[in-house]
Amino acid sequence: MVLTPDFATRPVISFQHVWKRYETGTEALRDINLVVPEGDFMFLVGPSGAGKSTMVRLLIREEKPTKGKIFVDGVELGRMKRRQLPFYRRRIGLVFQDFKLLPNLTVYENVAFALRVHGEPDALIKTRVAEAVDTVGLAGKEETYPANLSGGEQQRVAIARALVHAPKMIIADEPTGNLDPATAWEIMQLFLRINARGATVVMATHNREIVDLLRRRVVAIDAGQIARDDKSGRYHDDASKSQVRAR
Amino acid sequence: MMMLRNLKFALDSAWQSFWRNLAVSLAAVVSITLILILAGLNLLVGHAFSQVLDGFRAKVSEMSINIADDTPLSTVYAFRDKLAGDPRVVSVKFVTKDEALAQFLADPNNAELTQQIVGNPLDAKLSVRVRNLSDVTAIDTMARQWPGVDPTDPTNYQGNFVTRMLQLSQWLGIAGVGLMTMLVIVSVVIVMNTIRTAVYHRRKEIEVMKLVGATEWFVRGPFVIEGVMTGLIAAAIALSMLVIAYEPAVSRFSADITFIPLSYDPSFISSLARDLMLGGAMLGALGSYIGVRRYVRL
Repeated sequence: MVLTPDFATRPVISFQHVWKRYETGTEALRDINLVVPEGDFMFLVGPSGAGKSTMVRLLIREEKPTKGKIFVDGVELGRMKRRQLPFYRRRIGLVFQDFKLLPNLTVYENVAFALRVHGEPDALIKTRVAEAVDTVGLAGKEETYPANLSGGEQQRVAIARALVHAPKMIIADEPTGNLDPATAWEIMQLFLRINARGATVVMATHNREIVDLLRRRVVAIDAGQIARDDKSGRYHDDASKSQVRAR
Repeated sequence: MMMLRNLKFALDSAWQSFWRNLAVSLAAVVSITLILILAGLNLLVGHAFSQVLDGFRAKVSEMSINIADDTPLSTVYAFRDKLAGDPRVVSVKFVTKDEALAQFLADPNNAELTQQIVGNPLDAKLSVRVRNLSDVTAIDTMARQWPGVDPTDPTNYQGNFVTRMLQLSQWLGIAGVGLMTMLVIVSVVIVMNTIRTAVYHRRKEIEVMKLVGATEWFVRGPFVIEGVMTGLIAAAIALSMLVIAYEPAVSRFSADITFIPLSYDPSFISSLARDLMLGGAMLGALGSYIGVRRYVRL
């Protein structure tokens, strides 16, 4: 099942006139205004250095905006206190290009790690991990170490870890960047299933084929600004479409 | 319940990390053991010195007031009673000329002198024991103003020796504090660097922990416990070595240097154990806290 983004639903992410300038003087984002409704599936596309990663870092509060406000689920990230940050991160699921798995832990332990960090009891961890591992199609590989898994399988473990605490929102930064096209497509199917269950998905990607095939919402960033925001777009601007373009 | 689970996680991680970086952990244990041995020695020497000083103190808190030969006995008794009523005085004893001579003759150190003594040149005296060493001078002044005192040789006590010993003990105390401060700084730096190595080895795990919503204390906990563990292991080793060496060292010393009344004091071992274990744990905790603080900020 594929959900069509419904812009009338409650916004889960909102960027309001967001600027980001790093200490080096680099202006990474300039006046970003963006609303992501609950249940949306949104691609963030654009060339390297355009500002996609900065947007992801702002969303997971690794960085604060220099100007403007970012709201996630009603919370303004810029004003969030440091001690509240862990509890915010527990409400989102994160997936990265380099998987960020712990090599000395098994599949089960890697997925369970998120819940252990939250201090959940063993019985709950067991049930939740079994469900998450099953969802990503890795049942039977719980005792395997990451080094003995393929790239696609490793990314599945990372997705299971991002899912295991049932977050309302998944943020993925180039999740298919290290995968071959067939595996990338399998991983995308997984994200679609997660989205179909109700989770909002924000994905920064360079994968043109997938963006073009899925025809979901595409927000193109160029030189720190939103160059295009298509409800069901393609990776590159369609010449026949007259979309807003910054440059 | 959640606290207990987090504590278990921290203990498990600390234990794993200690063994995973065994070479670095052992180097830290050895260095801190050596430092704690030095610290323990410092405590032991301090304790021995105060033991010796207490011995001397008992001796030197005694003074004698020499009485002029023609003083009537009633004047002596009156002054004796006055002294006995003084709160600074523990005891007063009247020693007659004959008793004084008998005491003098009984001392083997005076063997040569006794042969040259004609008659009884010694004064009768009041033997006074004061409560505090600092009161000796006050009693001395009082005695010198008493008309019955022998004006040529009024009092005898080892006041200067006492003052010097007290000064020496103060200086030793200051030197001990200085040494301890240096040892604390060195061991904190050692633990700090050990924990930084552990943090470096586990940087990926720390990154993942932070991303999945670990609190700062959840990340720090295992490192602080690892530091405390290092400190406690080192303290236990240092303590055992000091305890093993303490008695033989004291008996060897007492045999060689007889005029210093040093003795083995087993009751001091429990306080030494408490100080070293507590010190080791605190050094470990402090070093690892400083070592890890900057790297786990969210």
